[in-house]
Amino acid sequence: MAGQVTSTGRTSELSNLQFALLMALPVLLFLVLVVAYPLGYALWMSFQQIVFFGGYRTNFVGLANYATMLGDDKFWWSIWVTVRFTVESVLLAMAIGLALALLLNRPMRRPGLIRTIIMLPWCVSLYGTGIMFSYLATGQTGFATAIAFFFGADRPVSFVNRQWVIEVLAIGNAWNMAPLVAFFLLANLKTIPTRLYDLAAIDRMSPLETFWNVTLPPLRFTLFVFTCITTVLSMKLFDFIFVLSGGGPGTASAVMTYQIYKISFRDLNLGYGAAQSFVLLFLIVGSTMTLYALWGRREAAR
Amino acid sequence: MQRRMTLWAWLGIAVAVVWTLLPIYWFLKMSLLTPDEIARFPPPLVPLDPTPAAYFNIFGFDYQVTPELVRRASGQAGQIINGLINSLIVSIVVTAITMLVVVPLAYVFARLDFRFKQALLITILLSVALPPVSTLIPFYALYVQLGLAGTLFGLIVVTLTITIPFVTWMLIGYLRNLPPVERLARVDGYSRLETLVFIVIPLARSGIAVAAVIAFLFAWNEYTYALVLVNGTPANTLATALSGFLFQHPEPSHLAAALVVSILPPVLVAYFLQRHIAEMNLVDPIR
Repeated sequence: MAGQVTSTGRTSELSNLQFALLMALPVLLFLVLVVAYPLGYALWMSFQQIVFFGGYRTNFVGLANYATMLGDDKFWWSIWVTVRFTVESVLLAMAIGLALALLLNRPMRRPGLIRTIIMLPWCVSLYGTGIMFSYLATGQTGFATAIAFFFGADRPVSFVNRQWVIEVLAIGNAWNMAPLVAFFLLANLKTIPTRLYDLAAIDRMSPLETFWNVTLPPLRFTLFVFTCITTVLSMKLFDFIFVLSGGGPGTASAVMTYQIYKISFRDLNLGYGAAQSFVLLFLIVGSTMTLYALWGRREAAR
Repeated sequence: MQRRMTLWAWLGIAVAVVWTLLPIYWFLKMSLLTPDEIARFPPPLVPLDPTPAAYFNIFGFDYQVTPELVRRASGQAGQIINGLINSLIVSIVVTAITMLVVVPLAYVFARLDFRFKQALLITILLSVALPPVSTLIPFYALYVQLGLAGTLFGLIVVTLTITIPFVTWMLIGYLRNLPPVERLARVDGYSRLETLVFIVIPLARSGIAVAAVIAFLFAWNEYTYALVLVNGTPANTLATALSGFLFQHPEPSHLAAALVVSILPPVLVAYFLQRHIAEMNLVDPIR
């Protein structure tokens, strides 16, 4: 890769490794301490049966918590809901983010104002987004109801139901994440010299060809990074779903994080909750690794 | 690319602005409604008689609508003000510490080759992937033992575990695209640290500004940890104060007003950020 410095081997100076450790070691130590401890604690819990009633005690149960999962319909359902929610969120957020970036890259009047407006959802917290979208999408207070009545309907229109609740969640999540994607893509777009577009015009490229050959290549690494980031964020998302739908109606939006919360904090089955949270962690790491193997490795090597 | 605005571009911007503003408008509207209007069905599209009463109420002031009608101050006002102050403290401290440690960290990963790089990078990525739901109980148990539960310091530490890995990951991608200045800096006799401080950081200031805003927003909007670690204590943040509203069956206009207030500081920050994005074209793209 351009711009990388290899060690010169001179003894009077720090080697790359020494310099890197000097810069990174304090942070890495902090991270290991505050990440390894809870991780280890959770791992220990996942092999225990933790009982609160009749005095706090723990029994070592080996892999029993993991074995219970295999026959737990709610667990498999929560995996399916998580996957569906994540895929929809990521596709929407990336598509909307790219569209916003392309729009913002055009010359326009009052660019500062438009940029600030487009950035607004990013300033809204996820629980705030959850509150907003629950009021926006339910029948009693919803926007769709107001519009429908405006055109003469007489019944509320609600999207928070078994059929559509995951789509409402995915749209709200994408609404919140898309500006982040858009602004990093926009920063990339700004680095494309305009003369490349002049050359493309001389070559009589169609707008689609220009997009594919001039605009897209510098964006590809950012697109990969943000596909990973939005995937991770969506899979570990909790507060937004907790506030918007509370896993419901029924179990229609019971994603894994909600299921873990419910098992750990409502049923107080801490061991089982910890075991499921490890499955979630492996799913998250596994999907980013898969993305890297299928896509990122090529982009990083370019 | 065309230099003038076409009809399609206008249409696109109009759609983007409506998409962005609709949920915010719906809530802004709710904060201005009277209690009667909120209870009305179907919900009104525009506030017919907008009053700023809710904004006075959540900060602890009564609001005189008419000589006979007074909308009383919210009982949650103390929580809101306290939460606002705590959230500001936590967010600013977290942003400062994050930037101090993350810039050098991202720099060495983006620009240098060294042994163990992959392994160390994976450690960071793993901590990005950790779902807060699964680390809540261990953190809570630890914090109770150390006496950190219900303290701002404890919340700052736990928030740093979110911001540091995430912002590092983002900055690595950005710093990779900088032109190869290290060799030139070394020819000029700069040490590695001087190269970072005097050459790379000024060159990357836009990306670093963006990263700082991201850290601020993560800290400002953090909810899951705050809910368990500081909720109901004097260290409660605006996020937990707001959810206090939500679960105590509030007046919806108070909830909406508090939410609108919670957006204002990030909006200010974001306004400054977008100027940096405009300056971002300093990178020579020829690689």
